[in-house]
Amino acid sequence: MKLSERNYRLLQTLILAGMGVYLLVKILGGTLYFYINDRFLWLVATGAAIFMLLALAAFRRWRAAGDHAHHDHAHTHHGHSHGSRWSLLIVALPLVLGFLVPAKPLDSGALAARGISTNLGAGSGGGQATQLSVPADQRSILDWVRAFNYSADPSELAGESANVVGFVYHDPRLPANQFLVSRFTVTCCVADAFAVGIIVESEDAANWAGNEWVHVQGTIAVASLDGNPAPLVLAEDIKPVPVPPQPYLFP
Amino acid sequence: MDRILNALGILGLVLLAVVAVLLLQNWLAGGVQLDRAALSSSFNTFTTIFLGIFIEAAPFLLLGTLASGLVEVYFNKEAVQRILPDNPFAGALVGGLLGFTFPVCECGVVPLTRRLFHKGMAPATGIAFLLASPVLNPIVIASTYAAYGWGPMLWLRIGLSFTIAVSVGMIFALHQQPRSMLRPLAFAPISGGSIELPVIQSRPTGWARVQQALTIAGDEFFEMGRYLIIGSMLAALLQTIVPQSALLALGSGPLLSVLVMIVLAVLLSICSTVDAFVSLAFVGSFTTGSILGFLVYGPMVDIKSTLLYLQVFKRRTVLYMVTLPLLLTILAAVFLNLNVAL
Repeated sequence: MKLSERNYRLLQTLILAGMGVYLLVKILGGTLYFYINDRFLWLVATGAAIFMLLALAAFRRWRAAGDHAHHDHAHTHHGHSHGSRWSLLIVALPLVLGFLVPAKPLDSGALAARGISTNLGAGSGGGQATQLSVPADQRSILDWVRAFNYSADPSELAGESANVVGFVYHDPRLPANQFLVSRFTVTCCVADAFAVGIIVESEDAANWAGNEWVHVQGTIAVASLDGNPAPLVLAEDIKPVPVPPQPYLFP
Repeated sequence: MDRILNALGILGLVLLAVVAVLLLQNWLAGGVQLDRAALSSSFNTFTTIFLGIFIEAAPFLLLGTLASGLVEVYFNKEAVQRILPDNPFAGALVGGLLGFTFPVCECGVVPLTRRLFHKGMAPATGIAFLLASPVLNPIVIASTYAAYGWGPMLWLRIGLSFTIAVSVGMIFALHQQPRSMLRPLAFAPISGGSIELPVIQSRPTGWARVQQALTIAGDEFFEMGRYLIIGSMLAALLQTIVPQSALLALGSGPLLSVLVMIVLAVLLSICSTVDAFVSLAFVGSFTTGSILGFLVYGPMVDIKSTLLYLQVFKRRTVLYMVTLPLLLTILAAVFLNLNVAL
């Protein structure tokens, strides 16, 4: 089964335009940030524009191939072996997956292979003091983890009020009255996602299902996990929230 | 070679099919609730990571194919050969420096290099260009500066990448028949047939030229894109099933830490424009040499770029292109760990 030049150009046009549309849908629908850091928005927008441009060129080729079908017959078939069919099929794969599988951010299911950290190495980006300049009740999970990392004496942070959003992860290292409230941090795309979490202590900790997004309010205390100081929130209030439009933290 | 490509394609499809069948089977059987959840959750993770890598890398590949199309239409052989030196050793040096003119990471540089081979660039020059430009370009230098400041890490990254790229280029310059290292389709129309032979009989002008450049870019996106996609799928699959913590737990010692970070770089397959930020997360717990190894080797070789190289060079050549930088990187990184305290 050989693809004619004309059919090849038609499928090429459809796939290229489909890619452009897919990227635009991601950008406009807001689910782009399930996949990449927001600083690459311009890159994806550029990509969508180029896809459209290439689709237009392929479309014109398709039209031209139609006009010249009779003249070109002999040599347009010349180069078309199985290879082109394969590349059409493979290049269509991201489209199939992208449109058929509902867009979902990484969740606690990904933690099995990626692990979770309550104390980053040196943390990513930013100066050492930046997260302390953020008012305590606006600090993200990542800010708290970093603050504990950089602080010479984390116990100074105890007693400050915490106000964080993340998903519930029941870490096997923790007792029944605690869980981790976690976020993935994404520097580039989800391939480099790195989970951070802080411990939440609450009487009804066990009642919260893993993976559920929650808003936790409480007071910071210093706990210890695997021998390192780790932030702990003595929860005063935990309530369920919808998945935030930007599910990851961007360091 | 085409058979290998097809085998890889089939492999990708089979993997997908297996996942789909497992999902369906579990769902139909009503299976153990937990298994089903775990399985659909890993499928979700796989899809998200795969699309993440693809969405991030596709624009760079597009820019590369666009550059390739423009070079094909607007440069002729004589111009390219006039600009580039005849001497292959000088060529390797120039190739290493050429990266500054083309600020795109590893995905974009492959189609452009192949096009330049087609225009008569010497293989040694092209190999040095291919290996150096993912690091030696303004965007990557800026992001490394943003992550590490004007520190030794920035200078070591630039210096070592350049040295390794040019050395490997020069090693290839010793080859008696350098053109034989290239796959024939590197300068002939592709057997896969997606390329309309870009031979310009009557030099088109104006919009016809633009149309031609765009058509070449589109064809090349399909030709190279399939490797990018298979590479991204493999990387996503490995990331879904191989626990990073097990890898990172190996992480101390002057040699082992270097090996771990290099494996991680290949596995993560992240773009060189941002890998500096990613590497920051490991600074506290890993040796300086290993971080440098991550920053130097990752941009030269990872899963998707290796597949792209196979499209341009013969398998033996790719083997050398992957292992020579590996040995040189390990050597430099371990030397740094043992002798220099930063």
